[in-house]
Amino acid sequence: MVVSRSGSGVFSPLALAGILLGTFVALFPSRARGADTEAALIAWGHTIAMQGNGLPGNTACAECHRINGGGMPSVGIPRIAGQTETYIYREIRGVQEGTRYSPYMDGIVQNLSRHDIRAVALYYSTVRTPKLPDPASYDPALRELGRRIAHRGLWDRNIPACILCHGQDGRGIPPNFPYIAGQSTTYLMGQLISFAVVRRKDDPEGLMRGIASKLTHREIKAVAQYFASLDPPVYGKISEKNRPDRLRLIPEKEIPTP
Amino acid sequence: MTARSLILLILLATGLLLDPRPTGATGNQNFQFFAPPAEGTLPNGPLGRLIRQGELIFIHTGQYAPRYVGNDLTCESCHLDRGIKPYSAPLWGAYGTYPRYRSKNHQVNTLEERIQGCFRFSLNGTPPPVGSKTMKALIAYSFWVSRGAPVGLYLKGQGIVRMSKPARPPDPLRGKAIFEARCSLCHGLDGQGTQSDNDQVAFPPVWGPHSYTKGAGFYKVSKLAGFVKMNMPLSKGETLSDQQAWDVAAYVDSQPRPEDPRKAKGGKS
Ligand code: HEC
Ligand code: HEC
Ligand code: HEC
Ligand code: HEC
Repeated sequence: MVVSRSGSGVFSPLALAGILLGTFVALFPSRARGADTEAALIAWGHTIAMQGNGLPGNTACAECHRINGGGMPSVGIPRIAGQTETYIYREIRGVQEGTRYSPYMDGIVQNLSRHDIRAVALYYSTVRTPKLPDPASYDPALRELGRRIAHRGLWDRNIPACILCHGQDGRGIPPNFPYIAGQSTTYLMGQLISFAVVRRKDDPEGLMRGIASKLTHREIKAVAQYFASLDPPVYGKISEKNRPDRLRLIPEKEIPTP
Repeated sequence: MTARSLILLILLATGLLLDPRPTGATGNQNFQFFAPPAEGTLPNGPLGRLIRQGELIFIHTGQYAPRYVGNDLTCESCHLDRGIKPYSAPLWGAYGTYPRYRSKNHQVNTLEERIQGCFRFSLNGTPPPVGSKTMKALIAYSFWVSRGAPVGLYLKGQGIVRMSKPARPPDPLRGKAIFEARCSLCHGLDGQGTQSDNDQVAFPPVWGPHSYTKGAGFYKVSKLAGFVKMNMPLSKGETLSDQQAWDVAAYVDSQPRPEDPRKAKGGKS
């Protein structure tokens, strides 16, 4: 996992210690997470967010997502503040592996080691920022349709209510189901379309690909603007019951075939 | 046309709605299932309020009928889309077919008694008495979503799909691998479900102390397999093969859960 760093000549004892620590943390997430190591990881994550990790191509995340993770609603750069560490980590890995099509992020994240990703994911999972204004147009005629899809689903097409998987009011069900409340209309529509045309295929079991491909453009607009009109959550403690090791995501290629 | 042939014609026409009780799951595209009354047509006044109350009990059973519920499930956990989704024993498939003989207790059961059964065995609770507000509300809600459904007929999509015998005997070991790959994301590797960030049940437990009992319909592997085949993973019904549905059901039902309340010593009755 740290091999990609070896060519870059950053093997100072400090960096090495950091890497070892990172490995340790990665292997034993809950036990090794003493206050010190967590603080060190967050600090490294903050550095990456501010100025990148120093390797070629790695732009500061803050240029697009802002240092507080609020994103840029006008151009559809997502809010990532308070999204869970597990989720942020998985999305960046998805971009690296090409399962998540992302022309903006593609070049930027290629040189992040897994330790870097963990650090920056942890950093953004801890920052808090208020919702930023969303300049996207809002169509009042679609309000009821959006609400209905969110809360009831379209079961005649086997589409469950979004809130069944994205939690009450789109607050997410940490760690695997991201919050979608308070995300911008542009971003939400973009991702739903991306799932529908299978440019984004990092969703476990193809859950979102299945759902998005059955929605019409009008429905996508309606449900996107509905969730965009809500407030994003501020998580307290994520319940112990939802430990990532209990709710394991198994890569698609390992799913047994009939 | 004689009155007789007219009746015959009507019978034939309604017969189109009949479910041949498919053995093994078949695709259901292009088929119109019975459709409950549209939203927003709920009557005002006491009837409307009672129906709405029943709907709330159905979705948030532990919250609106706490004294009758003994686990983390709600009616909707198994009867999806508020008791409307086909193949998850929808209310509209049941309403017109009770009273009905049930081999479970060798009696002709009313709909109230059937619902009491779900409280007792599936919700591990105490059945609400027939005259209770809870029961009246649930019956009113069942009545409403079944409005316009023909009486006395088994409609397409009613009940749980009856699975034909699998090619190989159901195997919990194979089932475990399927569970871990396809179900653990939501129900957890240990089957205990997932909580929301404010500690509510998000995905229900499928075994263990807070799930259905050994007296429940789902404790029959064939029933559970039929449910899973058509409904699970959520939104991905009919993606498991019949064999996989049998295997994963065998695994889930091989795990520990509360005793059948009819057998449990000191259990609720
Ligand atoms: C050039 C602008 C840009 C930079 C720099 C950038 N991102 Fe992004 N990021 C985007 C855009 C645009 C999207 C969403 C659309 C997409 O997937 O292409 C996105 C999506 C994401 C997502 C997925 C969010 C979600 O809700 O699914 C995460 C996580 C993320 N970025 C993290 C980072 C991190 C960490 C960095 C720094 C290492 C970074 N990004 C740098 C533009 C950028
Ligand atoms: C069966 C469960 C399920 C349902 C129902 C569901 N989702 Fe999702 N959704 C997911 C999962 C899992 C992810 C995370 C995908 C990933 O990890 O890449 C997701 C991701 C998303 C994303 C991307 C979030 C981001 O930050 O990039 C959007 C947007 C979304 N869902 C919208 C919806 C909408 C709108 C609905 C209702 C029509 C809906 N979802 C219903 C499971 C579900
Ligand atoms: C653990 C899953 C589970 C829960 C929870 C549950 N049920 Fe059931 N219910 C079943 C099964 C299984 C059947 C049998 C369906 C069959 O045999 O076709 C059933 C049957 C029924 C029927 C008769 C359906 C028919 O077609 O004959 C009604 C009515 C019903 N349940 C109502 C309820 C109500 C009301 C609640 C909440 C108080 C509830 N159920 C909770 C699993 C459940
Ligand atoms: C995307 C999340 C998700 C996945 C994956 C999933 N389920 Fe479920 N499951 C649910 C939800 C949500 C409910 C409750 C439905 C409701 O409340 O509307 C449920 C209900 C159930 C129930 C009835 C209630 C209970 O807890 O006993 C069983 C049994 C079940 N699922 C089995 C499975 C099996 C077996 C699999 C794998 C083949 C699976 N599920 C995969 C989300 C999921």
